[in-house]
Amino acid sequence: MRRLQAPSGPAEALAGALAAEYAAVFAYGVIGVRLADAARTAARRAETAHRSRRDALVLQLSEAGSAVPADKAGYTLPFPVTDAATALRLAVEVEERTAAFWRVALPHTTGADRDRALAALTDCAVRATRWRRTAGVTPVTVAFPGRPT
Amino acid sequence: MVLTCPVARGRTTQRDRALGHSRRNILRAGALLALGGTVAPLTGCDLFDRGDERDRVPDPLEPLAAQARELAARHRAALAAHPGLAPLLTPIADAHEAHAGELAKLTGRPVPSPEPSPDATATGDRSAVLAALREAEQRGRESAATLCAEAPADRAALVGSIAAARATHVEALR
Repeated sequence: MRRLQAPSGPAEALAGALAAEYAAVFAYGVIGVRLADAARTAARRAETAHRSRRDALVLQLSEAGSAVPADKAGYTLPFPVTDAATALRLAVEVEERTAAFWRVALPHTTGADRDRALAALTDCAVRATRWRRTAGVTPVTVAFPGRPT
Repeated sequence: MVLTCPVARGRTTQRDRALGHSRRNILRAGALLALGGTVAPLTGCDLFDRGDERDRVPDPLEPLAAQARELAARHRAALAAHPGLAPLLTPIADAHEAHAGELAKLTGRPVPSPEPSPDATATGDRSAVLAALREAEQRGRESAATLCAEAPADRAALVGSIAAARATHVEALR
């Protein structure tokens, strides 16, 4: 996933969020196959949610005439995913990193765009909390979701 | 900055005499105002006239900070009644206090201590306590989300993070 940098304006902030959503969709493909039962179902749901944010952003950016960054064939994962434990750890990390891109979009947006950015930040933060609980990580919450630590 | 409270200053002579302030104290306060005018301009008004709240322009984020303190107090009260909930509730209470602290930094206004809540969140069995906390967090999430929508750019990220944090609290308390 790309590193978080301060965007110069709304289009760049949303392009950053889109790049994060592409990477999240890719990561969940890797995560899902290492999980079983309820966790696998949760991973599939999360993947669907990220796909839908991705599609909405592609539409929004192209309608605004802004540059739409392209998806990549693959993304470098921060660590190898070899079992359920590493899959859960990656799921937490994906949600935390994606949340950070949406948080950065908040100051650059207003009105309905701001509401969408907040909804996306909130969804990522809530999924991170669920994954921490599934992984047995405590505490399951962080004080400032999306804020780089 | 000092000129933000001309009315209050005009009244000081009478009031201060009534309160028994010495001339030296008033001069000292004036010197403090001159020095600290940019740091805490409203403190100047308070020095002379504690009762005149009308001169004080409220910051839209002050209620959010007060709510954060109130939520922290609710969790601490629940903890006192159910110490077994500490691993779950302590980080949440700490987060609310961190939110209040960051908001105070942003607004430059001190956060008032929460008044003791008359509704007894902490009473009842464990599940009733958690249900009451969930409801309070949900209300808190909604008010933070409303404020985030209206916030100027330099405040949107912090208020948005607080709204998201409260949503994660609702989830954690399930």
